[in-house]
Amino acid sequence: MICRRLAALAVILLPAIASAQTVKLALTGPFTGGSAPMGGSFRDGAKIAVAEINAAGGIQVGPVKMKIEPIERDDEAKNERGALIAQELASMSDLAGVIGSVNTGVVMAGDKHFQEKGITKIICPAAGSKSMTQWLDPKVPDLSIFRFAAHDGIQSAMVVEEAINRKFKKVMVFFDSTNYGVSGRDDMLDQIKKQGNKLEIVAQEKFNIGDKDMTAQLLKGKSAGAEAVLIWGIGPELAAVSNGMAKIGMKVPLIGGWTLSMSNYIDNAGKNGNGTLMPQTFIEEPITPKAKAFIDAYHKAYSVARIASPVSAAQGYDAVYIFAAAVKQAGTTDSRKIKLALEDLKEPVPGVITTWVKPYAKWDPNNVESHEAFRREQVVMGMVKDGAVVFGNDADRQRLKKAAAGTKGR
Amino acid sequence: MLRRLVLTRGPELAVLGFLAAIPLFVTNPYALGLLTLLAIYGILLIGLDVTVGYLGQVNLSHVAFLGLGAYAAGLVVVRLHGGFTFSLAAATLVGLVFGGLLAFPALRLEGPQFALATLSFATLTATALNELEALTGGAQGLSILRPPFLGHPLSASGFFWLCLALFALVWMAMRNLLASQWGRAFEALRDSPIATDAMGVGTYRHKVAAFALGSALGGLAGGLYALNFLYLQPQSYSYDLMVILLLGVVLGGRMSLWGAFLGACLVVLLPNLLSNRLLFQVFSGLGLLLAAYSGTRGLVKKTTRPFQALAPVVAMGLLVVGGLKVQNTEDWRKAIFALMLFSVVVGLPEGVMGFAAKALSKLFHLEPPALPPAASLDEVLPARASDGSSLLRLIDLKQYFGGVKAVDGVSMNVVSGAIHGLIGPNGSGKSTLVNVVSGLYTPTSGEMTLRGRLLPTGSLMRVAGFGVARTFQNLQIFSGLSALDNVMVALRGAYRTPMPLVLLGAARGEERKAQADALALLELTGLGVDARTPAKDLTYGSQRLLEIARALARRPELLILDEPAAGLAHPDVMRLVEIIRRIASRGVTMILIEHHMDVVSELCTTVTVLDGGRVIAEGTPDEVKRHPKVIEAYLGQAPAAGAAAEA
Amino acid sequence: MTAAVLAQVVVSGALMGLVYALVAYGFQLTYATSKSINFGQGELVMVSAFVSLSLVNAGLPYGLVLPAGMLFGALLGLFVERAGVRLALEQKSEGWILMTIILGLFFLSAAENVWGRDDRPFPTPISSDPIHLLGVDITPLEISVAVGVFAVMGLVELFKRVTLLGKAFEAVSADRDAAELMGISARRAIMLSYGLSGMVAALAGILVSPITTVGPTMSSTLILKAFSVAVVAGLDSGFGVVVVGILLGALEAVTSLTVGSGWREAPGLVLLILALAVRPTGVFGKATIRKV
Repeated sequence: MICRRLAALAVILLPAIASAQTVKLALTGPFTGGSAPMGGSFRDGAKIAVAEINAAGGIQVGPVKMKIEPIERDDEAKNERGALIAQELASMSDLAGVIGSVNTGVVMAGDKHFQEKGITKIICPAAGSKSMTQWLDPKVPDLSIFRFAAHDGIQSAMVVEEAINRKFKKVMVFFDSTNYGVSGRDDMLDQIKKQGNKLEIVAQEKFNIGDKDMTAQLLKGKSAGAEAVLIWGIGPELAAVSNGMAKIGMKVPLIGGWTLSMSNYIDNAGKNGNGTLMPQTFIEEPITPKAKAFIDAYHKAYSVARIASPVSAAQGYDAVYIFAAAVKQAGTTDSRKIKLALEDLKEPVPGVITTWVKPYAKWDPNNVESHEAFRREQVVMGMVKDGAVVFGNDADRQRLKKAAAGTKGR
Repeated sequence: MLRRLVLTRGPELAVLGFLAAIPLFVTNPYALGLLTLLAIYGILLIGLDVTVGYLGQVNLSHVAFLGLGAYAAGLVVVRLHGGFTFSLAAATLVGLVFGGLLAFPALRLEGPQFALATLSFATLTATALNELEALTGGAQGLSILRPPFLGHPLSASGFFWLCLALFALVWMAMRNLLASQWGRAFEALRDSPIATDAMGVGTYRHKVAAFALGSALGGLAGGLYALNFLYLQPQSYSYDLMVILLLGVVLGGRMSLWGAFLGACLVVLLPNLLSNRLLFQVFSGLGLLLAAYSGTRGLVKKTTRPFQALAPVVAMGLLVVGGLKVQNTEDWRKAIFALMLFSVVVGLPEGVMGFAAKALSKLFHLEPPALPPAASLDEVLPARASDGSSLLRLIDLKQYFGGVKAVDGVSMNVVSGAIHGLIGPNGSGKSTLVNVVSGLYTPTSGEMTLRGRLLPTGSLMRVAGFGVARTFQNLQIFSGLSALDNVMVALRGAYRTPMPLVLLGAARGEERKAQADALALLELTGLGVDARTPAKDLTYGSQRLLEIARALARRPELLILDEPAAGLAHPDVMRLVEIIRRIASRGVTMILIEHHMDVVSELCTTVTVLDGGRVIAEGTPDEVKRHPKVIEAYLGQAPAAGAAAEA
Repeated sequence: MTAAVLAQVVVSGALMGLVYALVAYGFQLTYATSKSINFGQGELVMVSAFVSLSLVNAGLPYGLVLPAGMLFGALLGLFVERAGVRLALEQKSEGWILMTIILGLFFLSAAENVWGRDDRPFPTPISSDPIHLLGVDITPLEISVAVGVFAVMGLVELFKRVTLLGKAFEAVSADRDAAELMGISARRAIMLSYGLSGMVAALAGILVSPITTVGPTMSSTLILKAFSVAVVAGLDSGFGVVVVGILLGALEAVTSLTVGSGWREAPGLVLLILALAVRPTGVFGKATIRKV
């Protein structure tokens, strides 16, 4: 018994016994389980940035250069684990900040501990709206939580916009039964209303994680004459949807959240996935030198030919750079000061997605965008084509090229 | 006495005190979070142990009760603006009610079917929580604000102390319950559900109550869980978590409060263990040593099979090698669980605590508390006046199994106060007849009355309630219980304290009384000196006598002895005859099924002979012995009547 | 809701139901001889499918992958019997329930780490382009599943009736003690049943993978349904599983069409609990007599 207790205490105390000459940055996310492709890609992308910064000697913090010490924690996509990890991290006295979380539920269960202790946390790549909107409350005048992801609000607006631009009238709304899917449905319904009710929802259907046969739901949409399927979900079930559509001869496009760019969709849908559209913050296409360098570094470091979730990886990479810039500007590893610096970043931060100029502002309890980095213009429409994601609209591609060629981001 | 108190209660108080003191010194919220979770999981696992340990069934629905409890508490707070106590009470109640609802159908099942039914319930619950969006908020989850406790907002350490206090309360209540008739009944129904029913204890009733109680604890843990995490999502209560909970109970040790506590420690600390390489290697190394030690010991003492000794060593060896080779142990989390569980289930079936308890009981030998003096037999088994009237009457009783006519129209009359013999060759329908009368089978047709009242059919329980007790030809003793407990389980009318009061420890007085009564019956059957001996360690003859003592504890009007002398040596048979006489002298009517004709001749006044499911003769032993049909039935055409009697 | 839509849904559901039936049949095989079932059967399906996928990727032709995968499944089944079931059966305990859950957990974790957590497509020479049949779209792939299910169940049943080994198997199923008295080794028959059961599971994996893709969690939902089918049909009822499987598959599809897709699994589960409560031995199962 005593032995166990001592061990427990050792576990609790161990992280505290380490040198103070580093910037401790926690990276959290599901590195195992169903969401692992996103969590893993995020972590790996972030660690490339960490390695680059450390190779250059570290971050200039006041008079000294300090290296980043990443602390990895696997939340297993479980809320309970997430809450415990948040408690653990929040109780570390010398933690500079946290970047991570894929699952909105984990964010909901854990972030209150960071907010309580004033620890700076950048949510990345979890996109569910509620993660940030939960703080829209006059009782929260100050917030230490930021997001670095194209949140579902932007994404759903783009999805609806795309459907309208393509002159569709009747659509089917299809979503998975998880937090992510249901909240995506709400966002899409909201956007359809906001954009003038130009789309008629002829069917609204749901699927469960692990479902392989989507025939019943799709047939409802097909028989109601849906011209497009607006979809929100995670993982391989999306592929089952595409394959099911092919089976019943439902030849309409699938438009949905960024998860449609993940390898487990693209591979499993095969040729049935062609033409699927989704908002993207990063496309694994070396159109700029910076993007090329990042993609090559990633492929080399983890010996893969393709990133499981390029969006997560690129966002993780850029988030670390933005965080590093804030540490440098603050001149300290004090998490509260880093928060203040993040809210007022003086210098632009060149990233792989774009060059970030003042991504955040002082928290405004009425406007969630004050702590959201992404705006509509950093996001493009991607399209699946023969096993890869390419630009859905060529105009986006030209725009990004031009932006990288010299003119400032925005 | 003091030594006894220190040894039995000391460790509990020390651990609880230690846990309660931690927040005074450690302010780290993470450590506090883990401790709170430890207390919550402690309650949860004690609840799970009720089914997995005491009922011996693999229960896969416990997470569902955690979830239901959590949502009940959460919804009370969010929708009804209820307070702390109200939400916890609601959580417990929901666990109790749903547990009871599931238990009614599920506990008619055993083994794999039960596991499956509970698994289905868990899946169904997750679906319902997810789909009832209007009520639960569905997949988007439910955010809760912790209500104040009795008007005061609780700090983190305050909440921990509350959880710990509840854990201690649950611990005490469970201990009281297990030390009562309930604990004995759990043990009994695992050993022999049929005998449990035949002794009027009620297997099904106890199972349902136990399951509901365990589920209520699951609900309570769920309520605390909700108030701790303050954010709920249906998918938290998954099969994954269920497997981890099972891991906790099995690894810690089934049927042990300490085991549940140890299991909770393990469940809470395992993720930390896995994220620290060094610690993991140390622990897996210790595991390997333990496996090797217990394996070698088992082999040397020849108590285990080679597989049982070797497999855990291989599994733990894999764990050690894996710990050295694998980059990220967290990726292999499930495999690590599996290897640990495998080793424990195969190598230490009683869990770590069961293993430790054996070692500890050798170190600190404790005499059980002294028994009270035996009660007077007149009080326990008051002599009945036998008036010679008809007690049991069977009219044209038939029992068919498909085309087999096991009992085919038997009519019989047993007179009050008599010892009525029932004989017949093998396969003549004696046992079937007894099984019909005692309620194991529902007769195909016919009528049975006891003192003119219609005897219930098809329920051992209800027939037992009518005042019929029986023994079994194939022994059905409760082998894990002591001789005394075997009798105490069956004592009729001795336990009147309702369960809630038992939980509070109000049943101690009636326990002493029951001990005294049971001891009197053991002395009647000559087993007084063996009162504390586990029934499985008694000699075969004593086990037969124990069954009689146990049946007498029912204070029966009619006692059915199903071949009590089968397999007994001659001196034991003499002892048995003497004991049956003593019982008869107290006015208990008996039906005696026997093959030993001399026993029958000596004891019985009337004998009924069965063959082919029909009565072929009835009369005094001497009349029957000379009856030509009887001779034919036993020996075909054999001439000598005396030889037939020895068959 | 037109009749055509309903017909399509029922046919698709029924075809999935056949896969439930095949896995359920694997449960019956082991239950017959040993009164035990492998709670980790789903992981057997999954690991066998992954191994077959590796063989396909290694360039083995489909015609060889099928027997090789089934052989692997049989070996895995034998392993489960040795490591997880035999000891418990010898001790006459129900420890095998927990043991097979544990082994399944180990296989799951091993597969996650060896093959990765992502779902992967399973290439097959059989076309997945739908053909229109009596107003219903159906793919040759789905037809192959149906053919495979019936073929293997037919072959195993034939094996049990015609060969000596098969008859020994039947004898142990009917009355284990009597069979042992006749010199038939119950242990061998149980091993055989686990081998066959593993083989059937592997076939289920290979058949269903091209439709559902291969991934560590591919059979986590499949298995509960197969359980339901096996138990509702009765664990000793042979072809009863086919009827119940088809019905359950169709019922699920109709439920998700009419009630809502989130509730898809609910009727099956309610049915299961009710069926167990009313008739614990299953709709097609035999009742047993208690003896003392």
